[in-house]
Amino acid sequence: MIVYIYDGTFDGLLTCIYEAYYRHENPYDIVPVDRLEDNFLLQRYIIKTEMENAEKVYKSIEEKISPEALRRVFYGFLSELPGSGKVILDYLRVGFKLGRSVDDNLANDAVLAMTKLCQKVSGERHAMLGLLRFKMLDNGILYAEYEPQYNITGLIAPHFTSRISNENWIIHDIKRNIAAFYNKKEWIIRELELENELVIHEDEEEYQEMWKSYYKHISIASRKNLRLKKNHMPMKYWKHLVELK
Amino acid sequence: MDAIEKLKVLADAAKYDVSCSSSGSNRANKKGGLGNASVAGICHSWSDDGRCISLLKILMTNYCIYDCAYCVNRSSNDLPRAAFTPDEIVDITINFYKRNYIEGLFLSSAVYKSPDYTMEMIYQVVKRLREVENFNGYIHIKAIPGADETIVERVGHLVDRMSVNIELPTEEGLKLLAPQKTKEKILKPMEQIRKSIVQNIDERKVFRSSPKFVPAGQTTQLIIGATPDSDFKILRLSEGLYKGYSLKRVYYSAFVPVSTNSKLPAISSPPLVRENRLYQADWLLRFYKFEARELLDETKPDFDLALDPKCDWALRNIHLFPVEINKVDYNMLLRVPGIGVKSAMRIVQARRFGSIDFEDLRKMGIVLKRAQYFITCKGKHYGLKSMNQEVIRSRIIDKVDNNGIIQLSLFDTPKIEGGKPRLISPNGGLLI
Repeated sequence: MIVYIYDGTFDGLLTCIYEAYYRHENPYDIVPVDRLEDNFLLQRYIIKTEMENAEKVYKSIEEKISPEALRRVFYGFLSELPGSGKVILDYLRVGFKLGRSVDDNLANDAVLAMTKLCQKVSGERHAMLGLLRFKMLDNGILYAEYEPQYNITGLIAPHFTSRISNENWIIHDIKRNIAAFYNKKEWIIRELELENELVIHEDEEEYQEMWKSYYKHISIASRKNLRLKKNHMPMKYWKHLVELK
Repeated sequence: MDAIEKLKVLADAAKYDVSCSSSGSNRANKKGGLGNASVAGICHSWSDDGRCISLLKILMTNYCIYDCAYCVNRSSNDLPRAAFTPDEIVDITINFYKRNYIEGLFLSSAVYKSPDYTMEMIYQVVKRLREVENFNGYIHIKAIPGADETIVERVGHLVDRMSVNIELPTEEGLKLLAPQKTKEKILKPMEQIRKSIVQNIDERKVFRSSPKFVPAGQTTQLIIGATPDSDFKILRLSEGLYKGYSLKRVYYSAFVPVSTNSKLPAISSPPLVRENRLYQADWLLRFYKFEARELLDETKPDFDLALDPKCDWALRNIHLFPVEINKVDYNMLLRVPGIGVKSAMRIVQARRFGSIDFEDLRKMGIVLKRAQYFITCKGKHYGLKSMNQEVIRSRIIDKVDNNGIIQLSLFDTPKIEGGKPRLISPNGGLLI
């Protein structure tokens, strides 16, 4: 059983797709180097990222299948789930055969697996647009820390650039130690590990208290339904929600 | 009283209004401004009752000149009263919004001094938010019945959604429980808003830049269970409101006993199952092309609490089933119990590539718990041998206890009558 190993970048993954076609191989999985699991049966190939080949795959997905397919592949990559590399490869094989209409073919296992993988990521992305919480720091920067299951920081940042366009803000994924920084003009993603405690703005606690009491008082006691609340707002996200602390 | 105390009192006073959606508007941010609207709407939290919190839902004040028996803020009720100043509301809205707590503001008010005076105060808040603070997030405003048309018009050009609550579905109900209100007074602003929306759409066809009027449309709310009105009456009213007034949503609010007035029914808990059935029927009207008369009529004026309205309809029309999933048209697919808009679209998409069988449906995530009794796949039926409505009914019925609450079993997984055991996917079921 062949496994391709890449450097963990999106271009690396695309290079692996290129190699699979070029070598006429069907790898058992495609994994980034930091998520490699030891298995006696596996035959490993380290694939070096070639920008030129990655670019070719990128373009042909966009042109021969669809921009939507490219989006799905990228979302699948960001899921960082075990097996996602293989799901992407299988999906693209069907995609290059069927072209634009590939995503309608839900009875196909490969397409279905891709759809479900992609839904997980876009589901968390949408949930986070609402569940992210900023706090105002002493220097006026809005700072949000969170621990998403998937690597979605780059997917949610554009939403906040148009929404909170006139403030400086940071969205910090403390699980992956990366953050999106915005300076009222443009945003970038960089690694970030905090060394010191953050100093919050003097008004911050007051607004947090207000939000907490609003949260408590807006609920109707005779309709209490904690199960429904948990269904909508899974407990894994509670840690960073002001109102549930 | 400081702002936090007022917030407690006026959130408490506003919570019986159900609407909290932030959808339907695509207002963009402006240069140097704060906020925009998302067409699909975004939920920011869920309270202990499981309802979504999307907007800062508060009353301007709960001092009220009216004494409506069903309402918690009626003038004869002894409870703490408060009134926000426009500054306070603007400050809280902006600061909550920046922290991503909320999607915008839903401002309503008890009627203080007069409808005109109250509407004017609401206008002041909205004007400050939009024009001084350059706030472009979602704003939902309650139009106060009886307020002057020109103020309603001015507010409409600044907000995303407006609503007028009908509350009691019949004139008799109004006379009994809210004698200071009349049907005409409530319907007048609704008609005004409808006309202005239509007019605005025409205007914008010629002058693209003319400001939008209530782009997310108008909504209303009906209270369920405070009066003896039947589900049929309520549903016919909703149908009329969707068709005649082009409403975006009708909200149903199970009556929460907030008073012991002798004119009100004595109930121990809000009729939540009935509320749920009405919402299901409402969806059938809006997205499934059903008519109110198909679901209920004079001989059967109320919904079966143990069965959802679509199942109930299908069982009464069992001669139309089973339908072949590979052949039946989209509109009829929508009428199969258990198949929703998304599932129906998926089926239509997938069957272009070849006929689909029962296992495909399951893989596509289509819920077969109820659908199995009403469909065939490639000619095979996976439900019961009998198409007798009583037999099928007994299989799909929700267990309802004496208090009208649906009992969910811990083991409430769909039991497929004739199906094969679940297949394990080739990659070990990792991602499926």
